[in-house]
Amino acid sequence: MAFIPSKRKKHNTNPGKVKLNLTSMMDMFTIILVFLLKTYSTEGMLIQPSEYLTLPKSNIENSPEVALDLVVSKEWVMVNHEPVVKTEQIASSAEYIIHTLREKLSIYAREAKRMEEMYGTKFSGKVTIQGDKTIPYNILVKVMATCGNSGYPNMRLVVYRQGE
Amino acid sequence: MAYKPSKRKSKGAEELEPNLTPVMNLMVVLIPLLLSSAQFIKIGVIDLNLPPAIGSEIAGRSRPKESEKKLDLAITITQQGFYVSSSISMFRGLDRNEPSISNHEDGSFDFNKLSSVLFDIKKRAIDKFIDDDKIIIQAEPDVNYQILISTMDAARSYDVDGKIYSLFPDVSLAAGVI
Repeated sequence: MAFIPSKRKKHNTNPGKVKLNLTSMMDMFTIILVFLLKTYSTEGMLIQPSEYLTLPKSNIENSPEVALDLVVSKEWVMVNHEPVVKTEQIASSAEYIIHTLREKLSIYAREAKRMEEMYGTKFSGKVTIQGDKTIPYNILVKVMATCGNSGYPNMRLVVYRQGE
Repeated sequence: MAYKPSKRKSKGAEELEPNLTPVMNLMVVLIPLLLSSAQFIKIGVIDLNLPPAIGSEIAGRSRPKESEKKLDLAITITQQGFYVSSSISMFRGLDRNEPSISNHEDGSFDFNKLSSVLFDIKKRAIDKFIDDDKIIIQAEPDVNYQILISTMDAARSYDVDGKIYSLFPDVSLAAGVI
């Protein structure tokens, strides 16, 4: 009679190699790669948005440059990430110029002018204003007036680019 | 006699799995590299001019000649809407005291109408005035920063049927009432 395949379960003594199936991981990596290639940019983050505020949105096309950083958040006004004056104080003051801010900015302006004399890098008078999107108009105007008064007439407002 | 090629069927070569190791090498290097230079949020800047009264020394140097006509376009933002005024026309709303462009029913600002009104003014003013790309914006003290930026956007360019017209890119802020 022909041989009947044995019904006794054979003991698998040689487990063999287990292969790692990498094809699905490669699919995912390819998609991530394509996405990152699309968002690749050589500009870098010249301006770091402060974490205390939400910038407003706009459809402007310009890119930022390096300049003095002035942050107007809901609580504090900061120059180069050092708090200078509380935002509420500005709202309640009756005059245009904010004195503590003006002194701080004048110090920076003097430093920059000294650098100009020593090293020849021109003092451009640029200041980059980052403001939270809910700050009222009068605070903004007072801050801008103070900047202009203390030697920084070129102002740029930082916004999130929305695209159309 | 020469050897004859054997007629015995030889076992077909086993199918090889594509060797993914070199591709993985590439991915492991490229992806962190691109991730660190990816820009997920784009930042832009708006250039501004200081209100001329408190400006630096540059503002006083150039004085306009008497014979040149200036447009002097100004927008005032209030909580009820926009007031548009220029030397061509005072764009009035229905009522003398109402804003030129009132808000929508729910209180949101009507930027589209503002853009179309400015487009109209631009068409009439172009090449006739020397400051036909300047605009002065002022606002009530408690108007939001976002509204101001959106107003500047609306005044900068206008999109009609896919063509983008540049309206008034040169923006100055005026102090208004405290």
